[in-house]
Amino acid sequence: MTTQPTRPIESTVSHAVETGGAFEAARHKELAAIESVLDISDFSLWYGDKRALYDISMSIPRGKVTALIGPSGCGKSTLLRSVNRLNDLVASVRTSGEMHLNERSIYDPGVDVIALRKRVGMVFQKSNPFPMSIFENVVYPLRIAGERKKSVLRETCERALQSAAIWDEVKDRLHDSALGLSGGQQQRLCIARAIAVEPEVLLMDEPCSALDPIATARIEELIHEISSRYTVLIVTHNMQQASRVSDFTAFMYLGRLVEYGTTKQIFQNPHLPETEQYVTGRFG
Amino acid sequence: MSDQNTHTLELVPTPLRARGTSGTWLTGMALIACVAMILGLLGLILFSGAGTFWQKPIEKVTLESGETFLGMRFRTENNPEMGLRTLYRVGNRDLGQQPFRWVDAIEIDKVANPQEAVLVERYEWGIWLGVPSRLIEYDDAGNETVVAEGPEAVLAKLPEYRKAAHERHARAEHIRSDKIAKLNHKLESLRLEELNARMRASDPESPGHLGYALWGVIAAICVASIVLAYRIQVPLARRLLILVAVLSAIATLVERPWAGRPLSSEQLASVLARTATEREELSDRFGEMTARVAEIEAEDARYRIEITDPKTGRFAALSQSQPDEPMKVSQIIRIVEANELGLAGKLSLYVARWWEFVSSVPREANTEGGVFPVIVGTLLVTLLLTVAVVPLGVMAALYMREYARQGIVISILRVAINNLAGVPSIVYGVFGLGFFCYGIGGVIDGGPDPSLVLRVGQWWVLLLIAAGVAFVAMSMSASGLRHKRNIWVGLAWGAVALLAIVAVFTTPYFEGFFRAKLLDGSPTFGTSGLLWASLTLALLTLPVVIVSAEEAIAAVPASLREGSYGCGASKWQTIQRVVLPGAMPGILTGAILAMARGAGEVAPLMIVGAVKLAPQLPFEARFPFIFADRSFMHLGFHIYDLGFKSPDSEAARGYVWTTTLLLVTLVVLMNLTAIRIRTKLKARFQSGQF
Repeated sequence: MTTQPTRPIESTVSHAVETGGAFEAARHKELAAIESVLDISDFSLWYGDKRALYDISMSIPRGKVTALIGPSGCGKSTLLRSVNRLNDLVASVRTSGEMHLNERSIYDPGVDVIALRKRVGMVFQKSNPFPMSIFENVVYPLRIAGERKKSVLRETCERALQSAAIWDEVKDRLHDSALGLSGGQQQRLCIARAIAVEPEVLLMDEPCSALDPIATARIEELIHEISSRYTVLIVTHNMQQASRVSDFTAFMYLGRLVEYGTTKQIFQNPHLPETEQYVTGRFG
Repeated sequence: MSDQNTHTLELVPTPLRARGTSGTWLTGMALIACVAMILGLLGLILFSGAGTFWQKPIEKVTLESGETFLGMRFRTENNPEMGLRTLYRVGNRDLGQQPFRWVDAIEIDKVANPQEAVLVERYEWGIWLGVPSRLIEYDDAGNETVVAEGPEAVLAKLPEYRKAAHERHARAEHIRSDKIAKLNHKLESLRLEELNARMRASDPESPGHLGYALWGVIAAICVASIVLAYRIQVPLARRLLILVAVLSAIATLVERPWAGRPLSSEQLASVLARTATEREELSDRFGEMTARVAEIEAEDARYRIEITDPKTGRFAALSQSQPDEPMKVSQIIRIVEANELGLAGKLSLYVARWWEFVSSVPREANTEGGVFPVIVGTLLVTLLLTVAVVPLGVMAALYMREYARQGIVISILRVAINNLAGVPSIVYGVFGLGFFCYGIGGVIDGGPDPSLVLRVGQWWVLLLIAAGVAFVAMSMSASGLRHKRNIWVGLAWGAVALLAIVAVFTTPYFEGFFRAKLLDGSPTFGTSGLLWASLTLALLTLPVVIVSAEEAIAAVPASLREGSYGCGASKWQTIQRVVLPGAMPGILTGAILAMARGAGEVAPLMIVGAVKLAPQLPFEARFPFIFADRSFMHLGFHIYDLGFKSPDSEAARGYVWTTTLLLVTLVVLMNLTAIRIRTKLKARFQSGQF
């Protein structure tokens, strides 16, 4: 991080929470070598008077899967939704600090939010296919961007569905309603929809929390496959899932980034005792 | 002790109150009471409405006094004062008698069903009961030939004569309703053209007209600023350009150099000369047509029928003033041998009468004939109100739910809208008459009130002020939309709207579209009519639509909206593609409620446009097809009129029931259609094909 403002750095997380201040996260040395796609610097967010994020600074590595873990209410979903400015929809939200996607600012007043959201795909906790056909769901981002050519739409649909490993299951019923699919299929369809426009970053907000173990396994497999082509930022409650699918892991607690490093290091050799307690299930 | 205690506890029965059985009974009985009342109402309407057109036998009643008469039993009552008595429908108004007659049961000596008695339904003067005696044909010299004599012979010969009469009637009707009506319409337009020309000749010079050159410059500025506004990206300049474009467009429209000049006396003379020639031509053709109709009518008058009333020996007359001339064959609508009919005959007669009821125009102060114009009026007003209210209500609901900041202002607005649904409908009627008919309609007819009209300079100052406020509002909302919206933006736009309305009502440039007719004493839109009635009903049903649309919009899951935004959709795209389709079933529910309420409403319609008898349908096969300024007939109002304003309440009685049955059926049909569409949409929204 290049710009660290001068502020009192609290020695422990609990102390930071007590004083209501920020916390300087423990960053592993492996992070120095990454090529970052998304830079978050001193990012804070308030819901009305309530502060939800405290000066978060982190860089998301390109072409890797980064997991955000932490107990409920730690701000991981808020941070994720700040990346594509979905929090703008909440009237009382206020932010400070900056985010840069491929060196371009996200929070600059002149930013076209709609264009930003086309560069940052998102998959939600609850699968939310639109009440349209499978085909129309996948090409929705193209349709709203004004694409009319049938051939382009068809090709994109097939490519996205194949990338999301659901093509074989739905290729014969592309024009049936998407609501007739099973939960796991619906979630993979949402992934296909999110990657249809080749986003620079794919945000996933607990994509498996509403799925059974078999569907979860398939989604995890899928995340693994697409991570070679897309940068994935995933929020998860499930630490086994984080350790299985991610390359890097960030541990958050009460709005602060506590520790950030490679998944292997975070789970096997964390720097801070709080992280160790959380990943071993003794805390949080 | 403890042992005994447990024992006792087990024996205590659960109190009735705690068992809940009483609750089942109470709620069940309430439901039964509700269902019984509704079914009772519907059953009564169905029974009475369906029975009206069933043919009853003709009875020949002989009284103790020796008097005999023909009649059809209408209803029987056991009156505590008068005793058991029967109301007979006796018709034959030509004889100067009441068409209904009460007869006490003790008066009656004997009742027979004479085979030869017939019921004649006529175009005028109600029904006639009698025995057909002679069929007569006159030749050109006026000598009569008896074609048939005696009931059987007459009835055997009659169909052939009636067929010919029917053809003649159709021919005459074609000339009257098509050719003559068109000529009348042309004559009327000629008259209005003359009036207009005279008016323009006596007009003072219209306000400040520009020369062609200056006008051309302004038009060019308009076009240039529109083009530049598209090109230039600087927000401030763009806003200014938009305002310049709007102002110059208004100037271009109102300051047309070729329009509005007063006519010179030569021009007036030439217009009058042309219209005079045209009128002469039209009058000639008019005379030709009336001659053709007269010819057909003379032919008609050659075929006569005598149907004799057994009591007086008199026959149904040609007209009230010619009681000694027998009626024309063509005056008969239908002749029924009521006592000869079998079940099949009665059934086909029943169906024919229903068909006549729904497909023909009313006669005899609405107590005979049909209700076709009434059905058309009801359907049209319901259609127009739906077309007006649904888009408006849905857009208002969308703004309240999707765009507005959910704060105190919106909460107050929501409560206010809910309360509007409870305002008595007559209040809307009075408002509609004042605001739509006299206010807006008056401006459309004759331009703004002369006392309000500003001078040209003053008016343009007003427009410039409006433009200034609009500029401020545009700047505020451009900076306000990204961050926090505040109430000042709304107030600024409200002020712009208010100034625009004031500008419309004070413009010196507009003198009304129908000034000639207004001067003639017949307002076009400045009086009650179909359009204003529909808009009044739209206003009345607006709260229902807004509330249900808002609920439906709010019920669309937030996850779908977020998914759409996450794909990079704008707010409007999300509304269009996700929110509206999802809310459509609920919106349709609101539309159904609005339609049902609008179709059944009477009170406001009495004030803003429904009439007892509308001579013309609100649509015709010529441009603009729907004549929204015309008065119309409405089933709800028709029921009121038949039931309480009819000159012959007994004759109208049956029609009250049939009209009610028709209205209920119509509302049910409209609702069923809408429910079907809603179910289809719902199914599509939740699963299955898209």
